[in-house]
Amino acid sequence: MNESINRRRWKKFKSLKRGYYSLIILLGLYLLSFLLPIIINNRALIVRYDGELYFPIIKGYVSGKTFGQDVPGEARYRTLQSKFKNEPGNWVIMPLYPYSPYEDITYSGNKMYQPPSKSHWLGTDNTGRDVFARMCYAFNISISFALVLTVVNYIFGVLIGGTMGYFGGRFDLFFQRVIEVWSSLPMLFVIIIISSIIKPSFFLLIGIYTLVNWISMTYLMRAEFYREKAKAYVAAALSMGQSDFNVMFKHILPNSLVPIITYFPFSVVAGIAALVGLDYLGFGLPPPTPSWGQMLDIGLQNITKWWMVFSPVTAQFFTLLLIVFIGEGVREAFDPKVYSRLR
Amino acid sequence: MIPTFLGSTVLVFTILQMAPGGPIEQIMLQLQMGGAISAEGGASSSGISGDGGGSLPPEALKELERFYGFDKPIYQRYFIWLGLFPREIKHRNFMVEPGAKIVEKRVGKKDGKLWKVDIHILDNNEFRVFEKDGSVSRYWYASVDEIDSDGSLNAVIFQKEFSGILTGNLGRSYTYMQPVTDVMKPRFKISLFYGLTGIILSYLVCIPLGIKKALNHGSMFDFGSSVIIFIAYSIPGWALGGVLLVLFGGGSFWEIFPLGGFRSPTEIWETLTPLQKVADQIHHMILPIIAWTIGSFATMTVLMKNSLLENLSQDYIRTAFSKGIKEKRVIWLHAIRNSLIPIASGIGHILGVVISGSYFIERMFNIDGFGRMAYEAILARDYPITLGFLVIVVIIRLIGNIISDLALATVDPRIRFK
Repeated sequence: MNESINRRRWKKFKSLKRGYYSLIILLGLYLLSFLLPIIINNRALIVRYDGELYFPIIKGYVSGKTFGQDVPGEARYRTLQSKFKNEPGNWVIMPLYPYSPYEDITYSGNKMYQPPSKSHWLGTDNTGRDVFARMCYAFNISISFALVLTVVNYIFGVLIGGTMGYFGGRFDLFFQRVIEVWSSLPMLFVIIIISSIIKPSFFLLIGIYTLVNWISMTYLMRAEFYREKAKAYVAAALSMGQSDFNVMFKHILPNSLVPIITYFPFSVVAGIAALVGLDYLGFGLPPPTPSWGQMLDIGLQNITKWWMVFSPVTAQFFTLLLIVFIGEGVREAFDPKVYSRLR
Repeated sequence: MIPTFLGSTVLVFTILQMAPGGPIEQIMLQLQMGGAISAEGGASSSGISGDGGGSLPPEALKELERFYGFDKPIYQRYFIWLGLFPREIKHRNFMVEPGAKIVEKRVGKKDGKLWKVDIHILDNNEFRVFEKDGSVSRYWYASVDEIDSDGSLNAVIFQKEFSGILTGNLGRSYTYMQPVTDVMKPRFKISLFYGLTGIILSYLVCIPLGIKKALNHGSMFDFGSSVIIFIAYSIPGWALGGVLLVLFGGGSFWEIFPLGGFRSPTEIWETLTPLQKVADQIHHMILPIIAWTIGSFATMTVLMKNSLLENLSQDYIRTAFSKGIKEKRVIWLHAIRNSLIPIASGIGHILGVVISGSYFIERMFNIDGFGRMAYEAILARDYPITLGFLVIVVIIRLIGNIISDLALATVDPRIRFK
């Protein structure tokens, strides 16, 4: 029965084209974004020089001297490519988009505030970094951040909320008070305070965010467990001598999955929006991590350079739109509301 | 409600007090960096002899700690901040030679005359302060600070004062060098102005739109407006504000609206006629208000629509129809009243958002409001303002909850307060 209901839901979700295709597009883009280092990068994929093959993309740092380039430090593969055009036998294969999100004005050939052009699709920013490259890398980071954040949040929500609802009593009362106090605080403000004290990294930021954001799922799961606890199957499982742990996570949890799944996409949306907001305020991931919020911040300081504002906002907009479409589809499939009208 | 308030303030107070980079460390940093500091240090800077780039002498450090109240343990600081524990003010140092029994100390002026007190030293190195007429002083207290190796006492004499948030004193801002309440008042008004306009506008748009969408569920209008709602949901209001600024703020495209600010600068503002003032204000407000309203637009419209749809499918509507009541009456009198319930319960919550939800928009549009003040206070480690902001927000939220309940009771006939 449990199997078939989930299959039915999945079928229903697939039949909702908008959500289903959004899921495919988003998943595709997200998986693709893990290949970004070989699609958008300033390191060559393969270099053939003096009859030998080099794979800088795997090997990492290769000094310019190796290829007879008179530059300090790492080889400049873009200049190498144009140079090798006149040298038979030597060639360079660059990634599709040969700019890295980190290379700035110090890297020869880069200029600040370049408007969108054939080489820089979305122009460059105030330090000469390529906006398109940064935008794409930020996509991966934003989604990964929001996914990890939501999963961690939900784990805490299920653990605390489930225990509260299942056991009730003192534990429940105590945590209700904690939640009351915690939820009276302005969350964003608290996050800003904490991140202004400790400079957060990716996982630290997730920790901070979880610290203030576990409440909503906890409340939902508490209500779910509280309701399910009273049902006959729980009594049956208990009378058969199942442990509390087993009852909670083997019997009740699978029956409480609907809110988890239907809220998931919207939590991801909130997670991305939160990261962009924190980065915009300067309390998010440490620079120079590519991030939409930080790009937006720089863009708004240079308001005449429209590409620096539009790129991150558009990228964020389409990403969130896809997730919202998925969320609508999931909600429709898992928690259908049929409105009968009578005229 | 009160325990909630105490709990949340304790939390943030602890976090802030534990944080490194407080005012003292900042002053020390300034000293190390620049040598000569500006006179902004206020009372504290008097104790620091600028020896140019050196670290603080221990006495000066102690004086600074005393000035900012950091010489007390953290729980005492919290109670002092609340106003339940006396604050020590007007410190004056004095020395007691070994074996001395009575020390005379000049503490200031009173009624135009010099004010002197006698300090009696008891055997266990405690002090009693007497006025010159022989009575125990009602103002001054003294305590030992340190005992030197030769047995003489470094002591301090001070006044006590109960002043904290319970007496309406939020302290003095470290950066503005003004009482926190004075810093907050004008900025609070600005934010409130935006918030109220935003709320009223979003209710005026969302409720009718939600109703229309519900009544025409599945129509072209419903579909078309849903697209707008999806768009509005997928872009945070303040990010949209940024796009609007680039488009209309005169950066790259059109120069229709000002780049920011609450209104024109004072010099220009003063020269305007009242009508021009209104126009100027609206001119400055349009972009931020759009950004502000779009945030709640999507959720509120959908909430209204779903709630009305749900009510329309209820049995009591069927009953009303079957009794032969006209459709208009059923919808507007029966269904809509009930479907306003979830919207009404959101009112109080929105009140809280009015205040705290505006960091982004105020920063983006350069509006000197409440949210930006708090944001800058965190950057500058201005604890009194940060805590004061928090107190106000928590209070507003708690009041908002009460307002929500009251609003709920007016629209939901099942809830009655007895």
